[in-house]
Amino acid sequence: MGPYDSSVSAGSSSGSSSSCSVKPADPIDGLLAGAGYRVRSSELRQVAQRLERLETVMINAPTEVSHLANDAVHYNPSDLASWVDSLLSELHQPEIAPDPSTFSDLNYIAHAQGGPVLVNPMVGHCELSSGTEIEEDSGIRLVHVLMTCAESVHRGELSLAASFIEELQGLLTSVDGERGIGKVAGYFIDALSRRVFAPQEASLAGSAFENAVLYHHFYEACPYLKFAHFTANQAILEAFDGHDCVHVIDFNLMHGLQWPALIQALALRPGGPPLLRLTGIGPPSPDGHDSLREIGLRLAELARSVNVRFAFRGVAASRLDDVKPWMLQVNPKEVIAVNSIMQLHKLLGSDPSRGSPIDPVLEWIRNLNPKIVMVVEQEANHNQPEFLDRFTEALHYYSTMFDSLEACSAQLEKSLAEMYIQREICNVVCCEGLARVERHEPLDKWRDRLGGAGFTSLHLGSNAFKQASMLLTLFSAEGYCVEENEGCLTLGWHSRPLIAASAWQAMPVLQHPLPLINHHQNVI
Amino acid sequence: MVVPLNTWILISNFKLAYNMLRRPDGTFNRHLAEFLDRKVPANANPVDGVFSFDVVIDRGTSLLSRIYRPASADGGVPSIADLEKPVGSDIVPVIIFFHGGSFAHSSANSAIYDTLCRRLVGNCNAVVVSVNYRRAPEDRYPCAYIDGWAALKWVNSRPWLQSPKDSKVHIYLAGDSSGGNIAHNVALRAVESGIEVLGNVLLNPMFGGETRTESEKRLDGKYFVTLQDRDWYWRAFLPEGEDRDHPACNPFGPKGISLEGVKFPRSLVAVAGLDLVQDWQLAYAEGLKRAGLEVNLLYLEKATIGFYLLPNNDHFYTVMDEISNFVSSNLCSVLLLGFLVLPFLSAASGNLSKGAFETASDWEMCEMIAAGVFYALHCQISVKGGAILR
Repeated sequence: MGPYDSSVSAGSSSGSSSSCSVKPADPIDGLLAGAGYRVRSSELRQVAQRLERLETVMINAPTEVSHLANDAVHYNPSDLASWVDSLLSELHQPEIAPDPSTFSDLNYIAHAQGGPVLVNPMVGHCELSSGTEIEEDSGIRLVHVLMTCAESVHRGELSLAASFIEELQGLLTSVDGERGIGKVAGYFIDALSRRVFAPQEASLAGSAFENAVLYHHFYEACPYLKFAHFTANQAILEAFDGHDCVHVIDFNLMHGLQWPALIQALALRPGGPPLLRLTGIGPPSPDGHDSLREIGLRLAELARSVNVRFAFRGVAASRLDDVKPWMLQVNPKEVIAVNSIMQLHKLLGSDPSRGSPIDPVLEWIRNLNPKIVMVVEQEANHNQPEFLDRFTEALHYYSTMFDSLEACSAQLEKSLAEMYIQREICNVVCCEGLARVERHEPLDKWRDRLGGAGFTSLHLGSNAFKQASMLLTLFSAEGYCVEENEGCLTLGWHSRPLIAASAWQAMPVLQHPLPLINHHQNVI
Repeated sequence: MVVPLNTWILISNFKLAYNMLRRPDGTFNRHLAEFLDRKVPANANPVDGVFSFDVVIDRGTSLLSRIYRPASADGGVPSIADLEKPVGSDIVPVIIFFHGGSFAHSSANSAIYDTLCRRLVGNCNAVVVSVNYRRAPEDRYPCAYIDGWAALKWVNSRPWLQSPKDSKVHIYLAGDSSGGNIAHNVALRAVESGIEVLGNVLLNPMFGGETRTESEKRLDGKYFVTLQDRDWYWRAFLPEGEDRDHPACNPFGPKGISLEGVKFPRSLVAVAGLDLVQDWQLAYAEGLKRAGLEVNLLYLEKATIGFYLLPNNDHFYTVMDEISNFVSSNLCSVLLLGFLVLPFLSAASGNLSKGAFETASDWEMCEMIAAGVFYALHCQISVKGGAILR
């Protein structure tokens, strides 16, 4: 008899019961799920055996332990069975064939968790802060009235809302508008004011040039975009390993800040660099100026200086759904990486006549048969149907983001970064319909959406995690945290994830007729 | 002497992962540790009657804590204003919890500890404040104790945590493994400070010493834990050059102090019969008794480390019941006292509720606004003086 008693029932989760009436055929152990591990109840014994085996190997070969820690790349620790297996195969241990006789005496109370606990739109974490005791009371009152004002907007009581806005502007004078609660509240009061008094001009969308400038300063002032870029580049580099013709399709080129690092990494890769094609999508430039081409030329210069064969193509489109696959001119021999940094959420608005552009766009992406699709999105629930829910969530989200910005010492960058964020806030708060493009959705929703569109998850591993953590330590203030979330990486401030990076690949078209593997169900 | 299968898997998984993280030279693979640790976000949406949110207690050290509260009776989602709403019932215990991990592992947002704290809320009808203290080896003694002390001061100064009965915060310190050790040391610090700690709850607290005890020799390597790893963690936590008789490790040892005459809180100490450091834990309980302090010792013969993490064994329920009684027994005595005092107060009570406010509705409004406090406001006040805002 082993150290564990297989006849003792594993106990069931004391959590809320699943709302669906049909129990999944192969439930996961509820208690381990509460600890963050997904192990099928029917596999418990097997997993235990593998752990025993792993232990034996580790005891017998202590030097191997350091190899596991330092060199091996770990993926998705929540899937305990495959994590243990990956360690065993790192140590060249063959898998144990499952012993059928051991399953019969197990007597688990089959009670599956309904799935991961939904990240509440109102994750309670707030960074609004004020300086002195006197300010504290004004700060409290400010938030209270702000919420009441949002509520009246939600109910359509616009004249009531207008009077609250007046009151709020008065309250703002008694708090420090430069930092903490004063600053964030200021932006939200401004947004509400625009919505109430000037809804037609509410959107703060500026010219493409202005947007690019603000974007650049947001990039410099805080690590969110840098994290997106280096996490994406790491995954793309790995996907391109062993291939000689590669093609990156960037859904939002901007100044091409992401690409020098990838070009340099490709230049240095063992075996030499591939032929790299980059297709950059961006808005059309006004008055004959071709900014896409200029960026392309600069990147070509860099590529030439490090001996990477490089070709650039710019695709001007004001919206992603205006892009047609033929514009990308993909070559059947090349390996494709699609790079989408905070672009997909803009496709979630729906037009009564055409439906939501996200579906056709995901379909043509899939039809490109990309080796990897990098998706980075804001980790927030700003696309809820009810205004008040969106407002509340946005208040929390952007407060946290502003708080993280406080650490930035470069004043100009910080101010322009704030303007960048302000535009997002205005869009979330003031706009409706197709004008509201900042329709951020959390990671779990993107998992469902991408899974349903025929993509499978490519896990980001401990090497990407470590690189991200190290770069953060080097370049940013303390308080940022990288977390692993079932194969994806998030970057957050003070334990609140703010941005999530995930990697995907298209499932081979051949598999289409079979039931799709869903992230939350078991493989059929 | 068996544990349920899923418990075995959980603890073995930790054991093997942790083996990879401890390096022979005393350094720690923090990146891999953070990658492997299963974390959960705070959730203001009540789940099983409990919601949670994170607060910044000290900006300078990025000291965070996660607060867990019982949801309101209607189970509705609390608004921003409700997160720091004053506690409702007459007496609400506030349990400051220090997670385990031998001073090096885990965080307040680790899934296992998030789950445990939620259970404590439901079980004890308490507010739980789980402290994300700094860990070894990057931050050795006394950093974890400093963070614990900061959290205690913070909790004690929250108006919304005061029990309406006596306008005081009813504080208990609790922790498992290294967290139990931290609870003891924070309670020690609190003595003479004027902050009253009503009780300590120590689950498998982490103590040790230079000599090898009988239980250490007998159980070395038998139930998930080895002497070698215990030694590693002490070397990682204690100041360099110090041995395990340092009072942080061995509070009643040769370098320890007697607590005789010291106004130290009453303690509930749970010891697992299959934990190799039980002799040190029992010696700790003895040390408290010798000083004339009240100790409730729970010896759970067949329990291993981590038995309280999953509700699939008798020991779990025994301990949860004991903790519940422990934090409410003060309640009983206060209620009794209140019962006697009540007639004297009732005459004055009619005026108390209005206090300095002009109208009853102003009072209600201010209560609601006070409820809508962003705790960071308070944090900022305590840090502001001399704090470097980066």
